[in-house]
Amino acid sequence: MHTNEHTQKAETFIVPIGPQHPALREPGHFEFTIEGEIVTAASVRLGYAHRGIEKGTESRNWVQNLYMLERICGICSHIHATAYCLGVEQLAGVEAPPRAQAIREMVAELERTHSHLLWLGEAAHEAGFETLFMYAWRDRETVMDILEALTGNRVNYSANLLGGVKYDVTGEQASKIEQGLDYLEERTRHYLDVVTSDPVFIQRTRGIGVMTAVQADRLGVVGPTARASGVVRDVRVEAPYAAYTAFPITPVLAQAGDLEARFVVRLRELFESYGVIRRILANLPPGELVLKRMPRRIKAGEAISRVEAPRGELFYFIRSNGSDTPDRVKVRTPTLCNMASVLTLTVGRHLADVPMILVGIDPCFSCNDRGLVLKRGADHEHWTWDRLRQIGLDYYAGERGSGGVGGTSISPAPLPPCPPALLTGMHV
Amino acid sequence: MISDLTTLLFFPGGLSMLLAGMAFTWLDRKLLARLQNRLGPRWFQPLADMVKLLAKEEVVPAGVNRLLFVGLPVVALAGALTAVLYIPLWGLPPAASFPGDLVVTVYLLSLLTLCTGLAGANSGGRFSLLGATRTLTQLFAYEAPFLMALMGPALVAGSWQIALITAGINGRWLLFTQPIGFLVALIGLMGKLEMPPFDAPEAETEIVAGALTEYSGRGLALFYLGRSVEMVLGLTLVAAFYLGGLSNPVAFLLKTLGLLLFIAIVQSLMARLRIDQTVGLWWRYGALLVLLQWLVLWGGRWL
Amino acid sequence: MKIVTMLKDVVRSLVKRPFTRPYPREKQPAPERLRGKLHYNPEKCTGCCLCSMECPANALELITLDKKEKRFVMRYHLDRCTYCAQCVQNCRFGCLEMSPAEWELAAASKEPFTIYYGNEEDVATVLAKHTGTDAEPPG
Repeated sequence: MHTNEHTQKAETFIVPIGPQHPALREPGHFEFTIEGEIVTAASVRLGYAHRGIEKGTESRNWVQNLYMLERICGICSHIHATAYCLGVEQLAGVEAPPRAQAIREMVAELERTHSHLLWLGEAAHEAGFETLFMYAWRDRETVMDILEALTGNRVNYSANLLGGVKYDVTGEQASKIEQGLDYLEERTRHYLDVVTSDPVFIQRTRGIGVMTAVQADRLGVVGPTARASGVVRDVRVEAPYAAYTAFPITPVLAQAGDLEARFVVRLRELFESYGVIRRILANLPPGELVLKRMPRRIKAGEAISRVEAPRGELFYFIRSNGSDTPDRVKVRTPTLCNMASVLTLTVGRHLADVPMILVGIDPCFSCNDRGLVLKRGADHEHWTWDRLRQIGLDYYAGERGSGGVGGTSISPAPLPPCPPALLTGMHV
Repeated sequence: MISDLTTLLFFPGGLSMLLAGMAFTWLDRKLLARLQNRLGPRWFQPLADMVKLLAKEEVVPAGVNRLLFVGLPVVALAGALTAVLYIPLWGLPPAASFPGDLVVTVYLLSLLTLCTGLAGANSGGRFSLLGATRTLTQLFAYEAPFLMALMGPALVAGSWQIALITAGINGRWLLFTQPIGFLVALIGLMGKLEMPPFDAPEAETEIVAGALTEYSGRGLALFYLGRSVEMVLGLTLVAAFYLGGLSNPVAFLLKTLGLLLFIAIVQSLMARLRIDQTVGLWWRYGALLVLLQWLVLWGGRWL
Repeated sequence: MKIVTMLKDVVRSLVKRPFTRPYPREKQPAPERLRGKLHYNPEKCTGCCLCSMECPANALELITLDKKEKRFVMRYHLDRCTYCAQCVQNCRFGCLEMSPAEWELAAASKEPFTIYYGNEEDVATVLAKHTGTDAEPPG
């Protein structure tokens, strides 16, 4: 038995995906152990795109941070700014005017449209369906143009301000947006048809990477990935923010939990987005765009702000000590919650399915890489800066502790729901 | 002697074949781009790629068999260029011909795939190794159906000699009498050239560039050239066998370009097949259907 | 069940013009709200420095020569600017605006990226002060 195990170990063939790999647009490192074409084990190492943004917030004032946090993610930039603004406004005890909130929601939904279309292209590309990739990205230009006309930039829209938004929607723009949405709606319907009826494409998506609702719950996945497994998890519905009370959306669910369901959920979510954008355009509340007075120093206190990014729940923790800079900003992006599911789902699948399953969660590594988990057994304790620094020095001097100090490490084994302690255990 | 050399080096083999290969590659890329509503490369792009690759340093990884690493691309291209001699290119009769040259040609065409697989296995990299496995797996998948599909016209003409087969077909469009054979031959050609949806052996999102991951510079250029040449040869062969022969250069161009358009459309319409799906497709459908057609042909002859 | 779902798109594309825009041969008009290069008009400026204080990229330096005489020079670092328009928002006197037309701002050297705005003589004064010590600390 022992020798058998030994020979098996000698035959392990590990395929490294990343940090530089054509399947990944951003750096992340996966190791898939394969036998023939079948994956038998998977592990991930993150942290290659760690930029020190959370620490950076502590040396910038509240307004400057808005623009830095917007740059955490290039695709879901607006939602980061929104989460931050809502958190700061909550701390300051003010609320942005209803018109501003509605515009925030509208830009967020436009951003979701662009993100999901981008994802559709990306996923098609992973499946080797270049034509769908090209068409999806071509049509995504429509929403990019809308966003550019509305806010003046294609990527980092900077539409938010603390206490409001910068840009109003004019009547002319509204009709342009309507036109764009008409086109996008028609195209989205077509793509939904393609991903649910193209026989070759279905071979690559149907029944692959199946995650049951129980599994989804246990792995703590969020966003469309969870909703494709039939788990109702949508901050827009659970805890409406911005204008989601006035302009609600219905969460889109699928039960299958496979890759096809993830396509269907994301594409059907687009119709929800189009609908809610149309409703907002038709019933935009009148009034100011921005609060007359937004304090420069924010009252001491703590706030938690949760919003639904295109990839799932985005979580902001903001602490103020009463000065003009934040004391601590903690961001947890949805990709981190979803990453564990990739490791679980790829085991037992073909290597060819791995990129598809990975892209199925719509990963965004740069958003993700702000954390360094220090695991010493099971205890999650608070670490002081000095101690962290010392650990870092020791680590690079080659004295690795028995517990191991590594990048964000997630084990593929059954994972307990993400405990709050894990969040505090992570530091910049 | 001089005319033999010209045949070998310039026309219809050698240089003209390389240029034709690049032209066809460009056309394929351009068509694919236009089908995807893109602009596509300009006409000199494949030439520019070749010049650049040939001028670049060839990095030989540590621990490989150097002779094999450098020699395999040469053998691959040489195989493809040798096959040129037996194929009725440009609407002219083949430069060389002997009984049974169809079988030799098909084997010469397989040399490229074989060399690619060996090159991958020799490179030692993990992606190369996986790519090599997939390349050879795919070879075993499409090769038999492809060969069987080319035998359909041979059965009709009652000969194994390409020149005699084209003569025996005598301008008949076997596309209509043997549609299955035509499709299998054409799609088999796509498998041979590792075009989408049969590009699992070089699926960039999984195994980077497959068997050729470690190749750069000259070696890569030669493999690419070999593949370009094979594309022209394959299209010519299918056109000669199934589209009523190639009696003159105009017919040659029209028929091969028509086939090119067809395979460009097929490429654009499908997602990549997994390697197990490719194998399943060929053996479960391709081989059986061709066999069925064979039986029909045979039966038709005896009845 | 369909065999191919995108045949119509593909065939239609064959006769359609490619979607790719042939930039820079053909330029698309930029939208009105596009945030391009920043422009500063010292006429109405009061020197409150709200623009430079909240600039997330420290791209703005407002140099006050004489507050009473309203002599201000703005040193604008084009290469640091993130084009967020927070300064435009902050300025209550409308001294700042971002041009939607000037957005092709690439240059081969670093010099064009430091721009001085203000009256000619004021700019000359500031430049004279900085000759020889043009390497100001970043940030």
